[in-house]
Amino acid sequence: MEQRAVMAERLVDGQLIRACQHGDREAFRLLFETYKDRVFSIAVYSLGDRAVADDVTQQIFLKLFTAIGQFRGDSEFTTWLYRLVVNACLDERRRTRRLVSWGDSVAMNNPSEKKSQEKQYARREIAEAVQNAIGELKPKFRLPILLKYVEGLSYEEIATVMGCSKGTVASRLNRGHSELAKRLSHLKNEAAW
Amino acid sequence: MFSKHVKSELSAYCQGELSETRSRAVAEHVMRCTQCRAQLEEIKFGIKLAEQLPRVAAPEQMWSEIQSLMDREGIASSVTRRQSIFWRPQFVAIAACLLVAIVVGALWLLRDHSVEPTGPTWQVATLNGKPTIGSSAISKRGKLGVGQWLETDHNSSAEISVASIGQVQVDPNTRVRLVQTQPTEHRLELARGRMSARIWAPPRLFFVDTPSAVAADLGCAYTLEVDDTGASLLRVTLGWVALQLKDRESMVPAGAACQTRSGIGPGTPYFEDASAEFREALTELDFGQDTSSRATHLNVLLGQARRKDTLTLWHLLTRVNAEERLRIYEKMASLAPPPNGVTRDGVLKLDPAMLNKWKDELELDWTYSTFVPKQVAEAYWKVKNGVTRRMSKLEGK
Repeated sequence: MEQRAVMAERLVDGQLIRACQHGDREAFRLLFETYKDRVFSIAVYSLGDRAVADDVTQQIFLKLFTAIGQFRGDSEFTTWLYRLVVNACLDERRRTRRLVSWGDSVAMNNPSEKKSQEKQYARREIAEAVQNAIGELKPKFRLPILLKYVEGLSYEEIATVMGCSKGTVASRLNRGHSELAKRLSHLKNEAAW
Repeated sequence: MFSKHVKSELSAYCQGELSETRSRAVAEHVMRCTQCRAQLEEIKFGIKLAEQLPRVAAPEQMWSEIQSLMDREGIASSVTRRQSIFWRPQFVAIAACLLVAIVVGALWLLRDHSVEPTGPTWQVATLNGKPTIGSSAISKRGKLGVGQWLETDHNSSAEISVASIGQVQVDPNTRVRLVQTQPTEHRLELARGRMSARIWAPPRLFFVDTPSAVAADLGCAYTLEVDDTGASLLRVTLGWVALQLKDRESMVPAGAACQTRSGIGPGTPYFEDASAEFREALTELDFGQDTSSRATHLNVLLGQARRKDTLTLWHLLTRVNAEERLRIYEKMASLAPPPNGVTRDGVLKLDPAMLNKWKDELELDWTYSTFVPKQVAEAYWKVKNGVTRRMSKLEGK
């Protein structure tokens, strides 16, 4: 399935979008396979609850498929998609004011590494600590970090998705990095780095 | 003395999101400002942490749930009447091409994996003989990938271009490995032999791991040698280098050297023009097994110490017992009295703020030593900034 997603990413172009706009369900499926993990990752890290993230991701794709007719190609498709994702996550947080419980709810999709089990365990501990620390950041600092590190967007792209200036993105990422470093300063000398 | 602090721009700087002019200004400021340098370390650590975030796989059954919702809400129900996009000729053709490309690529990688490393590489130029990368000898030029070893025999030597931030000359009988190369960190491992580095980048961007310490570049030129026991010798010719192992750190300025030993870490830095007696006594204090003769060695060291040897004495303060510390303090105070706000009691209790304040004052003696004349030291930043500018121009072309 993952291979299919990789192939699909290369095939996402105007023609695929047009096929979706004409209601081709196979095209929808292709679009879903391409972006499902990215959308789900942002939802999980943003909302802190796997079950809620599952619901929100489904709603995002439903909304995407319903509204795709309105996509005119004036901006990148991904920008349009991530704007939907960010708004959906912010709406969900506003709606529920959820007290998030990190750590136990987020299972990772970690690629297998040829490292000792001890080191893998230590790395997993670090990744979990990072997830928890990110969960404690304010949304305005957390979302740019997720778009940067989970999605690999540039500052310019994050600014477009979030509807703010590139300077604001730089400043929020700076603050986010600094907060993470302070909260997890005890990990600085971990052998797993 | 400083231009405006650049703390708010450090993330953008680390991630290549600043303009060339702004990036250069930030680099120049960071080289001189201890506050922004400390903040840069924090930001780099924050970036490293954020990079640990894995992508989370969506649940397998999600598509069937979405399909049910689509059916219920009547979205895309016309698909059965429509020819699926995947069976259109152009998609079949694209898919076939991709499949062929993947198969050819996989076969090529399996056949010749060791020759062309994937991912980022550093350029290597042969200076003499035939150095090897992995198991292959290189003739004139080669590429060193992450995880690969570059090895020279007694007849060969090579020069590595360290990303765009400097050069490393690898002498004969040396073995080095590229551990990592990223915008926030470039790292080599020196297992044995000798290398000389010339780096023009902000502090703590280039590191060399040795069996007994890590050398962190603070903007400088230096040589580093590792013998078969894992012991090493660092000699700095320009700028500063920090040698670290866990909590033990030695700051080594131009004109000074520092030894390391396996299991102990960095010794105490000393100026290379110190007397032979001074250097021998220091080696005994740092690494000697015979504790009964420490007092004798300390006598020799204090008797031979000059004003600029406060470099050695300052580092020793935190590495000796209380009785020895008192004797070192008194010698230091006689050579270079502590500044206002630094008290005898505070130093003897190893108050970090006081130790740092005294060090800041003493650094003028260490940097403007006879080995590096004051004019040269002052010109250093100017030259270095010029080099950075020229490099940026070249890269921009």
